[in-house]
Amino acid sequence: MLDLKSLAVGYRSAGGPLLSDIEVSAVAGDFICILGRNGSGKSTLMRTIAGLQPSLDGVARLGGEDVASMRPATRARRIAVMLTERAFNPGLRVEDVVALARQPFTGWEGRLGDGDRAAIADAVAVMGIEPFRRRYFNSLSDGERQRVMVARALAQTPRLMILDEITAFLDLPSRVEIMALLRSQAKEKGQVILLSSHDLDLSLQLADSVWLLDGAGGFSVGAPDALSRSGAVGRAFDTDGIRFSPSQGRFEVSTSGPA
Amino acid sequence: MRTRVTTSSAALIAALAGLSLLTLTYGQIALPLADTLGALTGTQSSDLARQIVLEIRLPRVVAAIIAGGALGMAGVLMQALFRNPVADAWSLGLLAGGQFGVALTVTAAAFAGPAAVSFLTVFEGPSITLAAAAGVAVAAVFMLALGRRVGAITLLVIGLMLGFTSQGLTSVLLHFAARAGGRVYGGWQDASFAAIAPASLPWLLAPIVIGAAAAVATAKPLSSLLLGETYARSLGVKVTSLRHAVLAATVLLVAPVVAFCGPVSFIGLIAPHFARALAGTARILPLLPLAALGGALLAVAGDAIVHAPWEQHFLHLNNILAILGAPVVILILIFSPAVRQWR
Repeated sequence: MLDLKSLAVGYRSAGGPLLSDIEVSAVAGDFICILGRNGSGKSTLMRTIAGLQPSLDGVARLGGEDVASMRPATRARRIAVMLTERAFNPGLRVEDVVALARQPFTGWEGRLGDGDRAAIADAVAVMGIEPFRRRYFNSLSDGERQRVMVARALAQTPRLMILDEITAFLDLPSRVEIMALLRSQAKEKGQVILLSSHDLDLSLQLADSVWLLDGAGGFSVGAPDALSRSGAVGRAFDTDGIRFSPSQGRFEVSTSGPA
Repeated sequence: MRTRVTTSSAALIAALAGLSLLTLTYGQIALPLADTLGALTGTQSSDLARQIVLEIRLPRVVAAIIAGGALGMAGVLMQALFRNPVADAWSLGLLAGGQFGVALTVTAAAFAGPAAVSFLTVFEGPSITLAAAAGVAVAAVFMLALGRRVGAITLLVIGLMLGFTSQGLTSVLLHFAARAGGRVYGGWQDASFAAIAPASLPWLLAPIVIGAAAAVATAKPLSSLLLGETYARSLGVKVTSLRHAVLAATVLLVAPVVAFCGPVSFIGLIAPHFARALAGTARILPLLPLAALGGALLAVAGDAIVHAPWEQHFLHLNNILAILGAPVVILILIFSPAVRQWR
């Protein structure tokens, strides 16, 4: 359903692409984790696939259609994003935030129909945010906000969900819960979910497929097991102080490195 | 939420009607309520009562309602566009920019010669409004560009400073312009709803009606901008054209107010906060009627206090609005969670 064809992403002014010649496909129901260190181009890649910034070369196709040349209104019905940019606003209630996700589907007034209300109710129930539905978005804790923003993305009923570091403010049980939940949503609704994360362990356990950015322009794709056994994970993340152990499937603090 | 908006609107309309009637009745000459109603409906009433109500007080009250409503709606647009709870046409210097535009035009006419001045005088309504619109638009574009670089409070301070600067420049300009030129426009120092001639009311109303329609049309995409520019784009909003449309609506709403009533302070800043409290939401569409009615109510209240039967000369509208509005702004600055987060 999602096809990237010789895609190159980055900023034209910043001297050359961050990533280039990306060739990868995903089918409906795929839960994909994008892994890489800070600055490796995760956010840029995700923004490009979402149609929020132009690609430097190649195309991203969703259901055969070039995302970059879709009408904005059409794209908004098919792709939902959640970004690291913090959304806040005075006077906006949780239910307002979730309801905004239905804007691509409503008329000029933005009045919600039965289908819109059902999608909102479903997203609210899935994320368990009913108890603070009437509260002001600004008054929530970081973890609660993340849940609301995920619910907002779900309520948009997209074919493709692009979620950038959404588990950053959550404790471990909540991270596991939300990632497992998103995985089952992808299967159930036939969506493609692209999620970037610094949670290596969790991502390697839950993802159907991993897109690994090594920080030097290298891009490898594969099943989590295959990538960790091949040493690709280690090449992307190892430093003097920490080393990925393919046999253990986790990081070890290196004893030979500097303290 | 719909019911909250409807009941709040009904209550505001009732309050506005009551207060307007009171303003029509009381003043330097108190009229019996029956005479006021008689003059309004055109039934039995003395000539004097009819003259006072229809020719002096009614235009003033109508101007206050239109201008207050326009400022309230413009406040909603500006606070959403700037994502700034203390943004409004007055506080960000748009009204002062409009005055400066008028001053430049009047001065240019004074130097061009008597023909230009008399042209200005004959076509006072449209020419002054256009000059004000140009000034408002320049100030708005400048502040919008600045708003992307600095925080909410810094922008507020810069807006107020910009206001002082334009007012200073305006008075210097007028010092050098012929006195005849300055008299074309009455709203240099203080705001007032009393200066407008009844024949000019359509010139006040027409741009504001178009501006209000534009505000309603942009309400839905503007709501999505509440989450930030990227989220708005991800919801299919063309952010740049939305910005232009909202700016155009703001200019249409605000320029006629500057042209005919002067720099009316505080109304556009606080009416949106009342509207949000009443509506229980920050979505734009339900806020527009509530902020318009709230702004109109504030304007009529301020005007009623100014024109109450005081012993001596009249009070100044902006001073009354400052007494009513400044404490509210102080409370917003201290207690608004949004302002605290910007710090």
